[in-house]
Amino acid sequence: MPRTDSAVAVEDRLHAALAIVRVVVTVNMVGLNAYRRDNFDHPRTGLAIVVALALWTAVAIWLYRDRARRTPPLLVADLAIALAAMAVTPWAKSPDFHATIPGFWVMGALLAWAIHWHWRGGLVAAVLIAAADLLPRTEVDQGNYGNVFLVLIGGPVVGFMCESLQRMARERDAAERAAAAAEERTRLARAVHDGVLQVLAMTQRRGAAAGAEWADLGRLAGEQERSLRSLIRQQDTVAVGAGDRVDLAGALDAMATAHPVRVEVATPGGAVLVDARVAEETVAAVRACLDNVLAHGGDGASAWVLAEAGRDEITVSVRDDGPGIDEGRLAAAEAEGRLGVVSSIRGRVEELGGTARVESGEWGTEWVLSVPLA
Amino acid sequence: MVRVMVVDDHPMWRDAVERDLQAAGHDVVAVAANGREAMARFPAAAPQVVVLDLQLPDSTGVQVTGMMMEFDPTAKVLILSASGEQDDVLEAIKAGATGYLVKSASSAELIDAVVRTSEGEAVFTPGLAGLVLGEFRRIAEGPADDPRDQLTERETEILKMVATGMSYKQIAARLVLSHRTVQNHVQNTLRKLQMNNRVQLTRWAIEHGLDQDPA
Repeated sequence: MPRTDSAVAVEDRLHAALAIVRVVVTVNMVGLNAYRRDNFDHPRTGLAIVVALALWTAVAIWLYRDRARRTPPLLVADLAIALAAMAVTPWAKSPDFHATIPGFWVMGALLAWAIHWHWRGGLVAAVLIAAADLLPRTEVDQGNYGNVFLVLIGGPVVGFMCESLQRMARERDAAERAAAAAEERTRLARAVHDGVLQVLAMTQRRGAAAGAEWADLGRLAGEQERSLRSLIRQQDTVAVGAGDRVDLAGALDAMATAHPVRVEVATPGGAVLVDARVAEETVAAVRACLDNVLAHGGDGASAWVLAEAGRDEITVSVRDDGPGIDEGRLAAAEAEGRLGVVSSIRGRVEELGGTARVESGEWGTEWVLSVPLA
Repeated sequence: MVRVMVVDDHPMWRDAVERDLQAAGHDVVAVAANGREAMARFPAAAPQVVVLDLQLPDSTGVQVTGMMMEFDPTAKVLILSASGEQDDVLEAIKAGATGYLVKSASSAELIDAVVRTSEGEAVFTPGLAGLVLGEFRRIAEGPADDPRDQLTERETEILKMVATGMSYKQIAARLVLSHRTVQNHVQNTLRKLQMNNRVQLTRWAIEHGLDQDPA
């Protein structure tokens, strides 16, 4: 996988932290060697090595700061210097030395390898350091074994964690980019939709005024305008739906837009989340109301759907401006067993534990469907 | 004759609305293509009704409505929107607009709406009535100590009828009320919505310590 900016940024931070570790282990190294200066067979050589290591530390901190300079030659040189300092220890100190001259200072190179080449780098550097520590020794005591063991465990573990950090940074970046892209798409779509809606509305308006064939064009523009508006409204709430709960307002809108009767849908704003079965049955009941308008409302009848959402129940009102239902006709039909409309509307709503009322008058026919939210 | 200002960034619409209004004998005292122009021309033009598009290039119709109401609380704003983004429509009404119409309405409907708005009548679409009902429902089911006004049963009943496409005349006949009474009830719902909005803003300011003098 190519290194992205975020992964390199993580590496920058890790190297900045490593610079502090390098200073600490260098101070430790200088202090310990000064304290045990009596252990050196060749004190001048020992002093030269300690000074050289301290100087290299300063140079390394500066070199590692720029990501362009963090190349394999630098990492190899860093580790080679640590190994060399360990290798000359038996000669500079004495063949039966206890601690190597660099001691814990080798941590700098080890962690640099782990940061750059992850667990593999950490493992390779750890193995080389372990070998350089053990091979010159005449005898290995428990302390030596413990140190080597920790190096072999620590190198790959730190490397693995560095890799994980970089991967997480990459994933976070990808998620942020995806979210930003989605937002930008929505924003662009909004501008485009607004323009299209303006033109459709204008066509509809002018068409109606011009009459004849233009009126047909206007009517088509009107249908497209309603579909697009409904689509936008559904899109606004589609992300809200979670699990098996769906947006009833959007579902009603979608059904009404597709229905041959001219319908206007009013919703409380935002998503109305209900169980999938409640949404399905309610939409089917409303569709049956609209089918009824188509069958009995006469040509050019319009319908309106109002969805209301309470805490405990939803109410959907469906009104049409058709001639209305004769008083008692529904009851008579029900009594005669011709259940048509009644069973498909009332049946579905009662199945959900709700009620369906119908009222009719000069102003048309109105169904009010109430469904409890369990 | 009504003195009207038209604010819309689409020249096509600005011209069409202007032409329709003039043909009906109204006076278009100013036009503007964005919020900045609208606010610059509004004081001098002193229109009775502002026909305002919700989507403007430099600001939203909600912001422009708020600024106009602050400058002249008697101004009447009629929102004319193509896309009818639900949240924006409700916010514009809360900010003080008294009417809302979708752009696909006919010329006759637009002129009728402008005249009614100038007379102080609230111009509702069924969609807007649904949103307002939803807003009051959320208030009613919110915390009990909410100081915001709620709708009376009669107001809710009338608003439901508006939301199912009934005209004020049909509502008056169905409820055996006068046309004027129905109008008053509908206007009251908008007044409460706008009052509630101010209460909410004031409370928000107090909660955030904005009512205190800077120390």
